[in-house]
Amino acid sequence: MNRSFFQQKRDRNETAARALLFMSALVCCLLVVLILGFMVVTGLPLFGQNQAMDLLTGAWSPHNGGYGIAPMIFGTLWISFLSVVISFPMSLGCAAYICVLGPHGKATVMKRCVQMMTGIPTIIYGFVGVFLLVPLIRNTAGTGSGMCILSASLVLAVLIAPTMILFFIQSFDRVPRSWLDAVDALGGSRVQKLVYVVLPACVKGIVTGTVLSFGRALGDTLVALMIAGNAIQKPDSLLDSARTLTAHIALVSAADFESMEFKSIFLCGAVLYLITALVILGARLIERRGTHE
Amino acid sequence: MTPPKIKIESLDFYYNTHQILSNINETIPENAITSIIGPSGAGKSTFLSLFNRLWETTPGARVEGRIQARFSDSFMDINDPKLSVIQLRRAVGMVFQMPNPLPMSIFNNVAFPLKLAGITEKETVQNRVTTAIKACGLWPEVKDRLDKKATTLSGGQQQRLCMARALVMEPEILLLDEPTSSLDPRSGAMIEELMVQLKPRCTLIMVSHQPDQVERIADQVIDFTPGSESCR
Amino acid sequence: MNRWGEKAIYSLSVLSCVLLFGSVAILLGYLLVKGLPALNPGLIFGSTPMVDALFLKRQVFDGIFPAMAGTLALIALAITIAVPLGLLAGIYMAEYSGRFTRSVFGFFFDLLSGIPSIVVGLFGFSAILFFHHHISESLAPCLLVSALSLAFLVLPYIVKTTQIALETVPQQTRITGLALGATRLQNIVFCLIPESLSTILGGIILAVGRCAEDTAVIMLTGAVVSAGLPDSLFKGYEALPFYIYYISSQYADQTELTQGFGACIVLLLICATLFTLAAIIQKKVRHTLLYRH
Ligand SMILES: Nc1ncnc2c1ncn2[C@@H]1O[C@H](COP(=O)(O)OP(=O)(O)OP(=O)(O)O)[C@@H](O)[C@H]1O
Ligand SMILES: [Mg+2]
Repeated sequence: MNRSFFQQKRDRNETAARALLFMSALVCCLLVVLILGFMVVTGLPLFGQNQAMDLLTGAWSPHNGGYGIAPMIFGTLWISFLSVVISFPMSLGCAAYICVLGPHGKATVMKRCVQMMTGIPTIIYGFVGVFLLVPLIRNTAGTGSGMCILSASLVLAVLIAPTMILFFIQSFDRVPRSWLDAVDALGGSRVQKLVYVVLPACVKGIVTGTVLSFGRALGDTLVALMIAGNAIQKPDSLLDSARTLTAHIALVSAADFESMEFKSIFLCGAVLYLITALVILGARLIERRGTHE
Repeated sequence: MTPPKIKIESLDFYYNTHQILSNINETIPENAITSIIGPSGAGKSTFLSLFNRLWETTPGARVEGRIQARFSDSFMDINDPKLSVIQLRRAVGMVFQMPNPLPMSIFNNVAFPLKLAGITEKETVQNRVTTAIKACGLWPEVKDRLDKKATTLSGGQQQRLCMARALVMEPEILLLDEPTSSLDPRSGAMIEELMVQLKPRCTLIMVSHQPDQVERIADQVIDFTPGSESCR
Repeated sequence: MNRWGEKAIYSLSVLSCVLLFGSVAILLGYLLVKGLPALNPGLIFGSTPMVDALFLKRQVFDGIFPAMAGTLALIALAITIAVPLGLLAGIYMAEYSGRFTRSVFGFFFDLLSGIPSIVVGLFGFSAILFFHHHISESLAPCLLVSALSLAFLVLPYIVKTTQIALETVPQQTRITGLALGATRLQNIVFCLIPESLSTILGGIILAVGRCAEDTAVIMLTGAVVSAGLPDSLFKGYEALPFYIYYISSQYADQTELTQGFGACIVLLLICATLFTLAAIIQKKVRHTLLYRH
């Protein structure tokens, strides 16, 4: 082995590979911009002056030429908030049972089950909701069609629960083994372990998981479309029908290209995009804050 | 004592701001076994990783000072940025504490460094792999199952396989990080014997926690115990 | 905390489990009871003999065979587009990205994975609208647009799994190849990818499941109620989830509804199979693919 053996050689493959990999990553990122871009490019020319603002805040009254998407924004927020409110305690309880409170033997099986649940197609939740839950709500409430915010939120709550549980479990599992052993050694019960060690250590993870699940609920189309009734109105009670932004897009995209109604879906898309971006940004900020402290 | 193979001059090593090694000056003789001893956390593994620049894979690691190794006739600086670290690692073999066979067949494990170096000629590969396995005394045990998974071997066999893998490139320097500490005494003895046999071809640097082992095979000892600066 | 408090917390967590697992069990049970009667070859092939249908001798009109074939074609296309791109981007993220690119690209990928599927669908829809106006009048929503949009939808999954799989390769394995003189690229190709292959494959299968179940995207980008077997990239096509959605709102009689339940079971079976496959692969398959001598 002489000196030339150790000479740096320019590795063509390495350079080429690096370029290719970088380009791929860049392309993927550009897609994100592209998605917004196409909506704006296609949607923007459709609007006249000041129309966008009217659409964003105005009421929906096609007879008077009002095509505001405010009712849809309310519908979306109502349904997703409610579903998270229902789902959160349930998910937290389940995650706690799986990770801390329940017997070790069951944990793996239950976790597997929860993982499998995330694989149940959304359309199936919707389909069963329509034919099982909606009549149930209709009969219990005694009024209306049963297609309402409550029904949609209930189904959505079950739909997002597995994801939320997995987020929680993920953060529970990061609690150092030694902390748990310490509580065990001190003679603490499982509930004490949960309340005094696990939960305080996981606040950040729990918040992040909830925020991300909220994002998931916001973006769901099928459940709201099939179960919430799709009436365009500002909902007053849980038993009122409502339309979400996502359902609005799905319903109107088949309409006439030139109608104002049609133009509003691009605005809906942009609003959804924006809310999602905020949610993701929020989740990331929460995660950051914890790591700096 | 044989002529020096490696010269280390005023060497400092840091992980971020944490200084691990300070002002090390040593010479390592050629065709001999140099043993590094010292308490846990003293920086023995870190020291070993200086010779094939494996420390560069750790973010925040930094080295100051000079390490010169003599390949063919002249000394050259290992940390010279113009020196190809890939080639360096092909010329400096390393064996770890835990046997780390890759998830492939026994034969492919030993042939792997050749493949990395672009040596593909079938005959050559066959010969060099066989030679390396034989050199490690593993041949009778594996000659009928070369295409079996390397993970099916016993711990001692795996470690000898790793030696064979490190030797297939015919390195002039071989680094061993506690090569026998995860093995039973018999397998450990075989590795030791192998190291002694390798002396004419190689310069060996070994981290060891076993005083009796050091006693048996080391030609030189570098002690990393804080406060002691002993060489034998 | 007194004993009653502990008891209460424990009971609440058990209750959450019962609630969640119970609702999902009811959902699946209901589906089975309603759909089992429809589960026969007639559901899939209608009145056409099975052999003729499978060998494409005769068209199937009253079964879900075309919808299943459409879904299959869609998955195959979308995955073929998404996997190479996602793999490369994931490798870049794990092995080549610097601090800055990692955090910026990471945000974009998070965003992409958070964008509601209907918005991705709207993107595909507006893109094709754009091309329709500016390039050729003949362009309309079709299989290719759906596949592209779906590919974008699952791209972040593949990027993320690849990235995580590579990043979690233990340091010990990581330096094995390097110590033997592997270049960065060789180390990735010969050591890291084989080591993490099972995880990556698992992620890809989950992406396939996502393609199989998604309804919102294909609704906007080309799924139609009746199109026969998919035979062109530039035409509309049938898909299983879309068929189920259609049935839920437009069913004519009880038989059709039962068929809808049957289709739900078929879709569920497909997704369950994929999920189980993913789970098994993530456990069992160990890096045998890339090594042949
Ligand atoms: N990746 C790293 N980042 C920061 N510090 C490290 C890292 N690796 C090792 N260290 C520190 O460097 C010091 C020396 O570690 P090293 O592994 O070289 O010790 P050692 O002598 O080999 O110990 P042992 O006998 O236990 O193997 C230790 O104090 C350790 O904490
Ligand atoms: Mg060590």
